[in-house]
Amino acid sequence: MNLQTSYAHPEALVETDWLAEHLNDDGIRIVESNEDILLYDTGHIPGAVHIDWRSDLQDPLVRDYISPEKFAEVCSRNGITPETTCIFYGDKANWWATYALWAFRLFGHEKVKVLNGGRDKWKAEGRPSSREVPKYPRTNYPVPPKRYDAEIRAFAEDALKQSKSAKPLIDVRSPGEFRGEITHMPEYPQEGVLRGGHIPGAKSVPWKTAANDDGTFKSAEELAKIYLEGCGVSSENDTIVYCRIGERSSHTWFVLTYLLGIDNVRNYDGSWTEWGNRVGMPIERGT
Amino acid sequence: MYPPKLNNIINLFETLPEVERRETLVSYADAAKKQEPKPGEQFKLEDVRKDEECADTVGVYLHVDDEGKAHFRMTLGSEVQTLTRAMTAILCKGLDGATPQEILDLPSDFVTRIVGEQLVRVRSQTTYYILTRMKGICKVYLDRQRRMAASAA
Repeated sequence: MNLQTSYAHPEALVETDWLAEHLNDDGIRIVESNEDILLYDTGHIPGAVHIDWRSDLQDPLVRDYISPEKFAEVCSRNGITPETTCIFYGDKANWWATYALWAFRLFGHEKVKVLNGGRDKWKAEGRPSSREVPKYPRTNYPVPPKRYDAEIRAFAEDALKQSKSAKPLIDVRSPGEFRGEITHMPEYPQEGVLRGGHIPGAKSVPWKTAANDDGTFKSAEELAKIYLEGCGVSSENDTIVYCRIGERSSHTWFVLTYLLGIDNVRNYDGSWTEWGNRVGMPIERGT
Repeated sequence: MYPPKLNNIINLFETLPEVERRETLVSYADAAKKQEPKPGEQFKLEDVRKDEECADTVGVYLHVDDEGKAHFRMTLGSEVQTLTRAMTAILCKGLDGATPQEILDLPSDFVTRIVGEQLVRVRSQTTYYILTRMKGICKVYLDRQRRMAASAA
């Protein structure tokens, strides 16, 4: 097999030095999305807006994403149009940044990029930070005609079908979660899931496998070895990725879709908090 | 119902619009480092550990003075989240001078009045963690005092 030597969509990544030179470019919007809810308030990349994965992108009542109307409102109040290139970054090696990017893709927003290395790399390099919340002229983002759930989002039934047909199913949680020894990532509360383990047939490839120590993505060649050689992922087959609530698997979804250029990759955002709680779902434990 | 210093903080936060509430929380978070133990300080109890409920190690240091009033110092690991840092500074200040029993008996409903319903709803685990740790060390202190009193009798 000839492994890839360059990213399939290098334009989906920007480096910190590039961004530092283009902070004031027209047509871009820098978007911060974090696990730490107040981190943006402590200082952010100058000009960046804050979009919270939970309060801005999820429905407050039903476990689902916001409606197309509400997405249009989120974009409009942040001065985003369908032509705006949104550059996402955040803490935790861009977990929530890629989650927000994936959610933007759910609504058909196509111009999306990720800051390689995220917030930690920007900070480690001593680049500028601001507490000023920018104000952009309100736009009139058109309500997306639909949500692209069928294209990039998997539901429990899809994951079950994937499991039964032995198609690629990638569990990106920590090895302990995969084996069923714990129900949350190490260092986090063990809450919210009644059963531990993994979806039968899933392959364990923790999200961190795709990242360097500084939070940047590994090279195309390294990623190809991990996912194309190691997991049999290809555009000929559907692939589903999952974790606990869909944020770590968004990271892997981004890697497969944008860096390796694999078609038909879907993120099962219900993930283990749905599967491990749902009555009657098959579960495997151990390696 | 609440210790006077804590009551003042609650009253302050309740007057703030959401934007200023967040700014004030960040200001408190910035001040959390000032709560670290100072050289030469002595403590009745020290509880330094990494729990699953928090992203990094948190140390709680309790001093109880001759009048039976509690004074806290805290250390926070670098990965501790901003809201937890804010609650650290708020509670060290607000509970300073209360007795360990008063702290143990303190209802936790005031947290929402400080942090706001939205932040509590989306990050509930984070907001209560520090209060739980402070109550925990007070309980250990009081249990120890009771054991000592019983053995002396």
